[in-house]
Amino acid sequence: MSRLTHQVESDVDLFSKALLLEGPYEAWSQLRELGGAPFMRRHGFYLLARYDDVRAALQDWPTFTSARGTGLDPRINETQIGGLLASDPPAHDALRQVLSEQVSPRAIRRLSGEINAQAAALVDEALPLGSFDAITQLAQKLPLQVVADLIGLPEEGRENLIPGADAAFATFGPITPEIQERMPFLVAFLEWVQKVGTRETLTPGSWGAAVLDAVDEGRLPEDKAFPLMRAFLVAGMDTTVNGIGSMLRVFAERPDVWEQVRDDVSLAGPAFEETLRFESPVQAFFRETTRDVEVDGTLIPEGSRVCLHFASANRDERHFGATADEFDLHRGSLDHLAFGNGVHGCAGQGLARLEARAIVTALAERVESLTLTAAPERYFNPVIRGLRSLPVKTTPRSAPVGGQS
Amino acid sequence: MKITADIARCEGHGLCEDVAPSVYELDDDAVVTLLHDVLPPELEPAAEAGARVCPVAALRIVP
Repeated sequence: MSRLTHQVESDVDLFSKALLLEGPYEAWSQLRELGGAPFMRRHGFYLLARYDDVRAALQDWPTFTSARGTGLDPRINETQIGGLLASDPPAHDALRQVLSEQVSPRAIRRLSGEINAQAAALVDEALPLGSFDAITQLAQKLPLQVVADLIGLPEEGRENLIPGADAAFATFGPITPEIQERMPFLVAFLEWVQKVGTRETLTPGSWGAAVLDAVDEGRLPEDKAFPLMRAFLVAGMDTTVNGIGSMLRVFAERPDVWEQVRDDVSLAGPAFEETLRFESPVQAFFRETTRDVEVDGTLIPEGSRVCLHFASANRDERHFGATADEFDLHRGSLDHLAFGNGVHGCAGQGLARLEARAIVTALAERVESLTLTAAPERYFNPVIRGLRSLPVKTTPRSAPVGGQS
Repeated sequence: MKITADIARCEGHGLCEDVAPSVYELDDDAVVTLLHDVLPPELEPAAEAGARVCPVAALRIVP
């Protein structure tokens, strides 16, 4: 029926440091304009950058398979295969089951009190400083503490988690010399998790212990236990850290947004969702085609690497309208693709939401205004978008208003 | 129009209920339940919006 008249190509390097640090949004917009599936010559993959196409590919897992790896580099994909990310149903579902028994919203309903208390303690520690770095003091500390505690890891060695998760995500893109330099952090992280991920060290009743239980009960092959623990840890770290960090940046730069959220904490959820759409922490993952597919007149041959660009999809004016590039607290778009969607939709998104709400609530109860004291500094990771630093100063609320509900 | 819910995939994220409380509800175990056996036509847009936001694509609309 359709004529394949739209074979388009591009030389843009989606993973270049210059592009990502200066701001990739204009380049993504041009790529969306260019065609449904431009071939990215630089690294040899097809790009899906429009909302409808990314969403359709996420849902059509038999065509866009994860089972051959979800990164760009074949050497990295080789190491992923058979794990939670790099598998399809039905093999995938057994792994997901073990994970979701711990992290699904159903499983974590009882955790919100504890997480709220941890967030309040961190905010109480930071505020007396008057001015502080909201990335290191808040955005990094909460997920690090929450996830490491849940998995049951000892205090000693936790400093491996953030650099290790950062390096792990970086490997989903091209392995440049700069990325290669981060590999020692990944190795140190993996060695530490392997060392402490044992019955003797993990807290009894923790998620880590539950993974070992699943092995003992024959529901999980033994060789899948360590990769699954690693998946918990990597996925729970940089993602939430940068989602919270980018949200705090919006609060610091947009007093109008902060004042609304401060005065009505039920807007914490919408603020987090809109941040995830606006500055998606995980920018893109890859799939491979299992047959020839046509997207907008472009033929993607069987066996091609395809980049599903969540962050570009989330800025697509075709779906989000003319204001797609603006932060709108009242947009109400829960159908963003920051967590993916479908079979591989982020299993830990409920936990991320709990953590974000906890931070916002703790701040709203205590902070009148939140302002930048210097320009935020962006951090370079080819796959993750976030900040290295966010220097802010806060003024306290005149009277404590605890007990809002 | 009919909604099908794949209960085995439902993890209790609850976005369907946030978006369309007139169509979806989580039960005490945080499993989605459909409030109407036969969906009234005026609720079709809400049903579609709620199905669309399901993070794990457990809800399907059958036209």
